[in-house]
Amino acid sequence: MAPDATTTPKEKAYRKLNTSKLLRDTMTLHILSTKQASQQGRLAWVTSGFPVEIPVAFDVTAAYPEQYGAIVGSEKCGPLLCGFAEELGFSQELCSYARSSIGSVKNPQQSPLTGLPTPQALLACNNICGTVLSWYEAVSEMTGAPVYLVDMPPLEGDQPSHHLSYVKSKLEGLIEFLSQTFNQDYDEEKLIQVAELSNEAVSLWTRALEACRHKPTPLNCADRFLSMAPIVALRGTQQAISFYQAFLAEVQDRVKNNVGAIVDEKVRLLWDNIPPWFTIYNFFNTLAKKGVSFPADSYTHAWSANIPRGEILESIAKVYSNVYLNKGLTAKIDKMCSLIKDYDLEGFVLFSVRSCKRYSLGQMVTKEEITRRTGVPGVIIEGDMVDSQQYNEAQVETRVEALLEMIV
Amino acid sequence: MATKSTLSIGIDVGSTTTKAVLLDAKRNVVTQYLLATGASAQKSVQKCLDELRKSSQQDLTVVPVISTGYGRRQALNAIKSVTEITCHSVGVHHLNPEIRTLIDIGGQDSKVIRIGTDGRPLDFELNDKCSAGTGRFLEVMARVLEVSINELGSLSLKAKRPSTISSTCTVFAESEVIGRIGTGESPSDIAAGVHKAMASKIATLSQRVGVKSPVSVTGGVALNPGFLYYLAQAIQTELWVPREPQYTGALGAAILALGGGE
Ligand code: SF4
Repeated sequence: MAPDATTTPKEKAYRKLNTSKLLRDTMTLHILSTKQASQQGRLAWVTSGFPVEIPVAFDVTAAYPEQYGAIVGSEKCGPLLCGFAEELGFSQELCSYARSSIGSVKNPQQSPLTGLPTPQALLACNNICGTVLSWYEAVSEMTGAPVYLVDMPPLEGDQPSHHLSYVKSKLEGLIEFLSQTFNQDYDEEKLIQVAELSNEAVSLWTRALEACRHKPTPLNCADRFLSMAPIVALRGTQQAISFYQAFLAEVQDRVKNNVGAIVDEKVRLLWDNIPPWFTIYNFFNTLAKKGVSFPADSYTHAWSANIPRGEILESIAKVYSNVYLNKGLTAKIDKMCSLIKDYDLEGFVLFSVRSCKRYSLGQMVTKEEITRRTGVPGVIIEGDMVDSQQYNEAQVETRVEALLEMIV
Repeated sequence: MATKSTLSIGIDVGSTTTKAVLLDAKRNVVTQYLLATGASAQKSVQKCLDELRKSSQQDLTVVPVISTGYGRRQALNAIKSVTEITCHSVGVHHLNPEIRTLIDIGGQDSKVIRIGTDGRPLDFELNDKCSAGTGRFLEVMARVLEVSINELGSLSLKAKRPSTISSTCTVFAESEVIGRIGTGESPSDIAAGVHKAMASKIATLSQRVGVKSPVSVTGGVALNPGFLYYLAQAIQTELWVPREPQYTGALGAAILALGGGE
């Protein structure tokens, strides 16, 4: 059979970023700092959509179990760690980030990096899903660290004032919780400074994402999923800014010189949801060989909102209540339709992640609606981001190939 | 640009059967062959090609082959592999250009494809995760009822009061059927219930892409009159079935191969 690839076997179909070394170094330093913070009694585990600027302003270091889940997935030990949690009685239906995290607390010696360092506090915000609370409660039972929940009820449309003041009261509660747990006074000035640092990193990141409107796109999906690590873990710190300055410079350089993330871009697609970490390179690079790029995705764009000026707690409450996982389906559909238009995309792939009901819910309607509004075709593929037992490569391949046959 | 060929071969390597079609330049079927895929897809591909050669009495070594189906990558001499979604659309469009929705029920999967006026797929839904709504479902039920798979369809058409089989899951439906036998319901009523359950599963899959008439049914299960009867009821539309519904995917692949796979 003639290979579908249009490149010779020796020539790579995708281009590695020069800043990947800086990324590795930045994240290694971050991991070391979480170990140190844990020893000093100043480590909190934090959910990905948490208003992290507040604990950072208390000099508390944040570690992200979801990011750890991505490492577990990439290291292909999802089934093993999820299995440890299942032995404790957790259901296979539970999010695989939660299962692998709980599994790693149970058996750190068999986990990548021997698990995340022991936390002194568990900070959950349910603006991404309700699972996080039960998950952190389970970890709390195992580690003794107290949980604080920033409750952000789902929003439909504009945020009413009672919603805003409710969320703000939860942030005030958080401040009290952190003052007591870490024995430190709240410093509003410091929080404002941290928020400014956070905004600066978010702006750099957003500019890099927006540069992908260029043809060929300077970043493919896997590039963005890996490079988003500092915007999740180091928001509000100078390290994040330093990394994204270098990152944006490389992206702009690629744009200026017309250097694409993939060698021969023919088809531009949108990606929705977390990626299958255990096969992320294989998936996107195999498609890159066929000339398929993903200049935009719904996931990495979730960290692109600036904290507005104004009363700081209110501003934080606004930004974090309005992440689109916390809003109705229409907000996400609107976002994806505008990405398709703005980035000139010809089709879309919705990854239905078995673990993440919140993100995957409504994809059938979403698919119909996006095609109706934009006229471009899409497919739904099924699987999981960490638990490779729930992913069937041949079935995924057939669906994506059929989509490409519809486009070309 | 690839040159147009005077002959072409399409080969559909399904999970249950492998089908091959040899076409001439005018898209007439010269000969075709079907066999059980068995344990080795590569062997069944080779066997199909040998049979095409024997019955056509032609040297087919330079004839372009396009493969499709789950084992499409196992056809090592194919110039290209194309998904069954596209091949089925192209195949049924050739047989009846009016068709706008295709329901293909294979041995272990089922698919619904909405087809554009040019014969290309516009949208599709695949069920390849479980045996509900596939030929396998009917095979299991036929075994429990102790009839052959070929008899099951006509048996169901003799039903007086079709049983209610509420589960579309093969494992659960099997116990339900055993239960119905126990309560003395007639084999024909149970067979009708089985087909109704299967038809409702396919109707749900169809609704996901939206059924647009005229509708065609292909795949081995399209030869089952009982299933067609209940499916037509479930989706409330007439169904068009090609004379040899199992060959549609291979036919589409052969048509694409005639154009050099473009
Ligand atoms: S369920 Fe989804 S949003 Fe919630 S923790 Fe898991 S992956 Fe994240």
